[in-house]
Amino acid sequence: MKQHFREWSVAGALGAMLVALAIFAPRFYEAQPLLSRLTDDAPTLIIACGMASIIICRQIDISVGSMFAVCGVCSALLLEHHWPIAAVIPISIALGAVLGAFNGWLVAGLGLPSIVVTLATMVTWKEALRWMRQGVLVNVGSAQWFGLSQIHGQLTIIATSLVILVISALAMRHLAMGRFVYAVGADAEAARLAGLRPRLVTFLMFVRLGALTGLAAILNAVQAATLQPNPDSGLELKVIAAVVVGGVAISGGRGNLWGVFCGLLLLACITPALVYLGIPPYWGKAIQGAIILLAVVADGVRNRKTRT
Amino acid sequence: MAASNSKSTGWKAVLRSHEFILFAVLVAEWVLFYALGTHRNARGMTVGFGSLDAQYNILRHSVEIGLLALVMTPVILTGGIDLSVGSVLGFSAIVFGKLWQDAHWPIAAAALAALVTGAAAGGLNAFLITWLRLPPLIVTLGTYSLFRGFAEALTRGADIFTGFPASFTFIGQERILGVPAQLPIFALVAVAVWLLVHRTTFGRSFRAIGFAPEGTRYAGIPVERRVALAYILSGLVSALAGLIYTARLNQATADAGTGYELAAITAVVLGGTSIFGGIGTVHGTLLGVAAVAVLSEGLFYADQPRELGGMLTGVLLIVALGASVVPKVLSKWRSSRQTAPSTPQPPAST
Repeated sequence: MKQHFREWSVAGALGAMLVALAIFAPRFYEAQPLLSRLTDDAPTLIIACGMASIIICRQIDISVGSMFAVCGVCSALLLEHHWPIAAVIPISIALGAVLGAFNGWLVAGLGLPSIVVTLATMVTWKEALRWMRQGVLVNVGSAQWFGLSQIHGQLTIIATSLVILVISALAMRHLAMGRFVYAVGADAEAARLAGLRPRLVTFLMFVRLGALTGLAAILNAVQAATLQPNPDSGLELKVIAAVVVGGVAISGGRGNLWGVFCGLLLLACITPALVYLGIPPYWGKAIQGAIILLAVVADGVRNRKTRT
Repeated sequence: MAASNSKSTGWKAVLRSHEFILFAVLVAEWVLFYALGTHRNARGMTVGFGSLDAQYNILRHSVEIGLLALVMTPVILTGGIDLSVGSVLGFSAIVFGKLWQDAHWPIAAAALAALVTGAAAGGLNAFLITWLRLPPLIVTLGTYSLFRGFAEALTRGADIFTGFPASFTFIGQERILGVPAQLPIFALVAVAVWLLVHRTTFGRSFRAIGFAPEGTRYAGIPVERRVALAYILSGLVSALAGLIYTARLNQATADAGTGYELAAITAVVLGGTSIFGGIGTVHGTLLGVAAVAVLSEGLFYADQPRELGGMLTGVLLIVALGASVVPKVLSKWRSSRQTAPSTPQPPAST
């Protein structure tokens, strides 16, 4: 309990909000809008699974928004040319993995700071995409919802993201590779002396984040008949905020995916919850910021207490 | 880099310094775009990139990001980062617009209130970072969202403040003594920050903190107060940039300055400041700002798409970073090649 205080407090805050909504705004739980909102956030959850392990590894990746847009537009273009969806999904994942591998090579191979590397790749991919496409909409056509009915498509997307979450969480906890990530994030030099290969682990985590971003991109692309390429959505900061609120330490080596899941839901529910509770929705961003600060301040106060 | 200059190297070191290489890149860019983007019109007047108007426009457009980059430099020198500058810019622009238009404050009082807002916003960052010892990346990520959210809430997500008097838009649109009116302000801030970082003990302590925070503390320097100063300065000047932005466009919107934080960080890092802190110069940052501005505006005058400029900025950043590690990687590779073929031997006693 004490060890997972952060995760439990986020889960508690989420539970309190859901209970409050159940009492004061039961309409929040109507099936179709709720399902649509969850479908909206499913891609973010998948990327958060990758981002959590990057941050636990003591790195950061702010290029996910650009990678997400590039993969989304490329796969939507293939769908527009009537490629089968079964072929487009692996292509999108592979493209993401290649972009992630480039980040990973610069960070792990050349030893450059990840925040600057991914800042540079973020700008490069984003502007390249804008240059090539000039914001033209891509028509996904019949591939919307994988050609299923809307409700089946939504359920497929949500189920996929939950499966990724469960597998990633169990892998981080029980697989040797998952423990390596914690070891490298806690102390890379100690991990190296213990016989691990920190640079290889870091590289693989960047590839994995890229691949997950590619998957998230295709799951996002099939949600509407036309895809608007929007690399400026602030996705990277949204994902990082969810991961941090969920109790992953930015200094590496600490946190788990269940906390990230709660943090993501908490931040994602804020804006719709405001609408249902009758608070003007334009307060949403300020409240999200306040929640991020509250989460880290709680950490800070606890650290201060333990120090003195 | 200037920080590592030692007496024994002299001119050679200057020629190989990051700032000099960047300066050469800047000159090359300028000459290239002068050749590509300058024309003579029917009356024999110079138009396009080479004209004085175009040069002034480039300066005008880069003042806001330039201001943010200037004050980002001390922050990054201490080993921190400030992601909230763009949001502070937008928030203070909205505070200014709202006080002037809705509360009918005089323009000078509203401007002062905007600057105070900016300093207070920086103060919040400083408090959380120094007093609670929270990581700057996360604190400013939170305030990035918080201040942008305040701006959106104050405008109810839709209001736009415009129609400012000419006495105010003057600083963004007119000229003083032939130069754009915001230029003297920028020059003043640039000189002040340069003096602060390079000619005062304060500035020296910024580098020391970035290099070794614990060591600096044991050396008797009040680390918390110095770091707090860097963040408050960052908030204050971001608010100033917000005022200039409002004056240039004659409107204050809640999304003013979106994405400017990353543009400013790009310019600072391109200018040779280490993201880990401890190494970097203010003139390097100025060169970084200029290199990015000339690139993006020059492409515009050369009839190339603006996006290409953004893309090349990213590539330039990767190349600059890569160049900084090439000597290290090469020497490692050489030494591994020299030792690789030989089976374990007792180390030669040289």
